[in-house]
Amino acid sequence: MLEVLIIDDDDIVTLVQGKLLQNCNVCESPLKFKRASEALEYLNSASPENDYLLLLDINMPLMNGWEFLEEIEKLAIKEQIFVYMVTSSIDYNDKEKSKNYSRIVNFIEKPITIKNCDQLKEHKYFKSHFE
Amino acid sequence: MNYSSGELKILVVEDHIGDYILIEDYLNEEHVKIHLTRALTFTEAKEKLESNERYNLILLDLSLPDVDDNETLVRNMVALSNNTPIIVLTGFANKVFGVKTLALGISDYLLKDELNAPQLAKSIYYSIERKKIDIKLSESERKYKSLFDASPLPMWVLDRHTLQFLNVNQAAMHMYGYSEEEFMQMNIRDLWSEDFQTIIENAWQKNYHDSFGMMVKHHKKSGEVLYLEITSNPIEFDGKEARVTQAKNITAQMAAEEALISSEKRFKALVQDASDLIMIFDFEGNMSYVSPSSNQIIGILDSEMVKNNFFYYIHKDDVEIVKNHIAMLQDKKRIQIPSYRIKTSANKWRYVETIVTNLTDDESVNGIVANCRDITEFIKQEKKLISSLKRYDTVAKATSDTITDYDIENDKMYYNEGIESVFGYDKNAIENSGKWWNEKLHPEDRDRVEGYSKYVRKEKPANIQVEYRFKCADGTYKYILDRSYIVVDEQGNAIRIIGAMQDITEIQNYIQTIENHNSRLKDIAWTQSHVVRAPLARIMGIINLLQNFPDISEQAELLDHIITSAVELDDIIRNITIKTENVSTIDK
Repeated sequence: MLEVLIIDDDDIVTLVQGKLLQNCNVCESPLKFKRASEALEYLNSASPENDYLLLLDINMPLMNGWEFLEEIEKLAIKEQIFVYMVTSSIDYNDKEKSKNYSRIVNFIEKPITIKNCDQLKEHKYFKSHFE
Repeated sequence: MNYSSGELKILVVEDHIGDYILIEDYLNEEHVKIHLTRALTFTEAKEKLESNERYNLILLDLSLPDVDDNETLVRNMVALSNNTPIIVLTGFANKVFGVKTLALGISDYLLKDELNAPQLAKSIYYSIERKKIDIKLSESERKYKSLFDASPLPMWVLDRHTLQFLNVNQAAMHMYGYSEEEFMQMNIRDLWSEDFQTIIENAWQKNYHDSFGMMVKHHKKSGEVLYLEITSNPIEFDGKEARVTQAKNITAQMAAEEALISSEKRFKALVQDASDLIMIFDFEGNMSYVSPSSNQIIGILDSEMVKNNFFYYIHKDDVEIVKNHIAMLQDKKRIQIPSYRIKTSANKWRYVETIVTNLTDDESVNGIVANCRDITEFIKQEKKLISSLKRYDTVAKATSDTITDYDIENDKMYYNEGIESVFGYDKNAIENSGKWWNEKLHPEDRDRVEGYSKYVRKEKPANIQVEYRFKCADGTYKYILDRSYIVVDEQGNAIRIIGAMQDITEIQNYIQTIENHNSRLKDIAWTQSHVVRAPLARIMGIINLLQNFPDISEQAELLDHIITSAVELDDIIRNITIKTENVSTIDK
């Protein structure tokens, strides 16, 4: 099973992204985390049976996206984790930086669109979950 | 026959009485006053001759009882005769010897067997007269000899054919330093100086039997040179063809002449051939001498130039100064006149620099000697240099840069006005050393600049450009862009560094301002990228959702979120406007 986690400090973003994933049939009820640390806590005790798709915001207070990615590497289930970096910035440097992280599957700028969802479902990593 | 001089006293040396009487008879026959003294032997004759008695003549018979050898007898008698003429009487058998006696100093010889009165008388008179002449002759010879020997002028007698010395006087010996013995072994040619050999040889050959006079060069025994004026006359000397030469030593005269010639040559070299123009004139400027270099310097022949007054040639603007300087010579020996202009043949002007010396006291000069040097080219160069310096100065003043001129070898640094106007240092109070300059560098820049200096000295790039901070008199630092170039000598060694220190403090400040601006604008840009885009992305996301899913639940809530996000966006944009305004305000 593919579990989807939305990690963003902006409530409106998590709401909108959640609704889009629902309506696009990506995930009926994605998990929403306002703090990266909370998401980390969840994944720490998550089932190794599942795959985990993370829609991760970069700019967050306390622990930003990049720091969160470092922490993921310490998890037992790190191999089951796939990350979509989602950012409002149109910063070239961020996009370049993302290439250094093996967990990152894609880098997209907000807002996430239907087209993004459709591509996601066709992606080689997730394809199996939607057949 | 009469003999005018009165009584004849005759000594007859005759042992044979018969012969004596015969002689007496012959003589009485021919002469009235005759006084005969008879000696029987040589011993007796000797006694009589050694007494005070004087005889006019001696008649000597060779066959005497107390002398065996005729020759000894004759010699002894001649020695005793005291210049009294002797006539030898001999037998026929001794005729040959009789002839020989003439060489021993006998006046005549008579053969007893052929003796007669007239012959005897004639022989007696003749012998007496000849003896008188002989004595006179030898007297004159003696006088001549003493004249020769005692002459203060060096004299010598040479064999006319071989030029071997035959006689030499005291003065000659003294002059040459050779003894008489040495001279007698020598030939006159031994005295000739090599460079005169041909001349003397020719003159002598040409006047082989004649008198001649000439100047010759001889060497003393010491090798010292002698210049002589000689006169040489042919003479008979001891029966030989000879020539007597008298010499006058003119060596000192020649040396004086040579000194004069060389002094004149020196004068000619210094004055006549020199490039300087030399003139002699009086206080009124009347010229008495102009050196030939006038033609070369101003194109006027010295013979022409000397006709005019000295002041005539001087530019009217300069003549007053020149006159004033020359007037100073009344009190001073020597004066240098500052450069002035003299007219050339082409009516152009040449600049000259003149040293005048008052030699009116010197009889050989009797005037003011002016030594003029043409300095026109120098003046031209100087004018060029001055205008170049003026240009340089103008440029240096026109530029706000501080111009530096560093003399590497002497470690001297020179600055233009900039060191005062830009940095505030008193130009006269600063040290002109490289060290002083180095100390003014900002401590953080010093190592870098010194490292660069080393590189410059080693690699000698034509142009240098370096930035640093330089301390002002008030202790603040100014940003400097230093652009220099290196002056090298013929060997390529760096000798000077000419630099322009440009004050770029303002530019640096401006750059700083721009950088601050940039930083703020970057901040704004970041805000734009991150902050603005966040609510915008939300709005776009919601609209996207509503458009694609018209039946979506909680539509009202989503619309609320659009408004909230729009307000947020509005706030952010206002904030950006304020920040941007602040950037401009800070700058002002």
